[in-house]
Amino acid sequence: MFRLQGSKVLAVDMTGDAVKAKNGSMVAYDGQMDFKKTSGGGEGIRGMVTRRLTGEQMTLMEVKGHGTCWFADRASEINLVQLQGDKLYVESSNLLATDGGLRTGTEFTGMRGASQGNGLFTTTIEGHGQAAIMSDGPAVVLRVSSQYPLTVDPGAYVAHQGNLRQSFQSGVTFRTFMGEGGGEAFQIRFEGDGLVYVQPSERNTIGGEV
Amino acid sequence: MTAYPGTGPVIHDPMTLPSDDNINNYTFCVELKGSEWFLQKGKMIAYYGSMEFNGIGHGRLDRLVRTSFHSPLHASDWVVASGSGKMLLADRAFDVNSYDLEEGNLTIRSGNLLAFQPSLALKQSIVPGFLTLIGTGKFVAASNGPVVFMEPPIRVDPQALVGWADCPSPCHHYDHGYMTGLMGGLRALTGVGGTSGEEHQFEFVGAGTVLLQSSETLMAEQATGATPHEPGVPGGGGVPGGHGPQSGSPRLPGQLGDLQRRFGL
Repeated sequence: MFRLQGSKVLAVDMTGDAVKAKNGSMVAYDGQMDFKKTSGGGEGIRGMVTRRLTGEQMTLMEVKGHGTCWFADRASEINLVQLQGDKLYVESSNLLATDGGLRTGTEFTGMRGASQGNGLFTTTIEGHGQAAIMSDGPAVVLRVSSQYPLTVDPGAYVAHQGNLRQSFQSGVTFRTFMGEGGGEAFQIRFEGDGLVYVQPSERNTIGGEV
Repeated sequence: MTAYPGTGPVIHDPMTLPSDDNINNYTFCVELKGSEWFLQKGKMIAYYGSMEFNGIGHGRLDRLVRTSFHSPLHASDWVVASGSGKMLLADRAFDVNSYDLEEGNLTIRSGNLLAFQPSLALKQSIVPGFLTLIGTGKFVAASNGPVVFMEPPIRVDPQALVGWADCPSPCHHYDHGYMTGLMGGLRALTGVGGTSGEEHQFEFVGAGTVLLQSSETLMAEQATGATPHEPGVPGGGGVPGGHGPQSGSPRLPGQLGDLQRRFGL
């Protein structure tokens, strides 16, 4: 059972079940806990190799026991995500913890990943349960539906879930090269049905420079 | 979103997003209905609807720019958002707030200003690194920590100053001890030793309001361009690029250039 204590600490109450959490993110625990390093997040050899190849490395530990365990990472804001059989796409660097029963994987993102300065691959989480993701400043959750598509700055994108199509938009024109660009040269457009998490801060991206 | 523990995050859609108001302390939502807003480049994080972001030099915007944008040196940092929909603004997870001006004027550190309505006119302040907004309308500014409003007479720490409204420009104030005695002389010469880091303040007098942020973390200074090389223009002849507001202050005797500033004098 995940709950937030304040906005920067995640408390997990466990009764013999397990959670996967970012390596070294435990700040305190109460009760009996077992910490086990998992190679490749329990994705097996194939998952490990994929992560190594794609640069979407993620060192997770498995925490199992009875009691309460608290997690935090560099005072980042933590956001809880409830998954009901749908898929969450998140950068491995923004993932703090997931329920032990959730499946993690790696997926190709193409130009969107490149424009975020995050590499070409992203992490997926699938199943039923909870996950905790981190953001620089509290994330705003935006719903995308068929009549309301959403456009997001790649630098502010944190995660998305649901059945979304994303397309990459480029506003680069000859003006960009004349120093008169719109400042929002790269955008990701989400269409379909789902949720998008954006943070009130922008990573440094190629798009931010033009 | 963490205000409702247990109920999960608040999910926003275009119907529930506020119009020209804060979503949380760090994110501001602007509603465009065929209208325009000026905004600093790269501060848009997401939007619903159809919008266009055009540089200040864009031909169709000539009239708008002529009436509300009077700071050619900042032109490359600003864009005009036009269209209809709702747009989210944020800046490096700093606190974001909107302010209403009514037939007023307000001067603000250039890096802190995120967006403003075209009913306001943006001009460059004669204090280098600051911008002045004149007229009636709404603008959005960022600060590190909540903004505190104070009334002059007041002396403020240079790093905490966000801006000021309706009062004459500030002047520099140096504590007396800085200049006196052997140690004072030495300090003035070298900029090292025994300084509290608070000898230098900005002093405001007269009627008005001074805006302070509750932290001494400065927003990264925007490339503000150079002030024209003209006699009598403060900061004229300055090096192009980011500069604190102090770059316009006259050099004290024995001041070792920017070294001294780094030591907090």
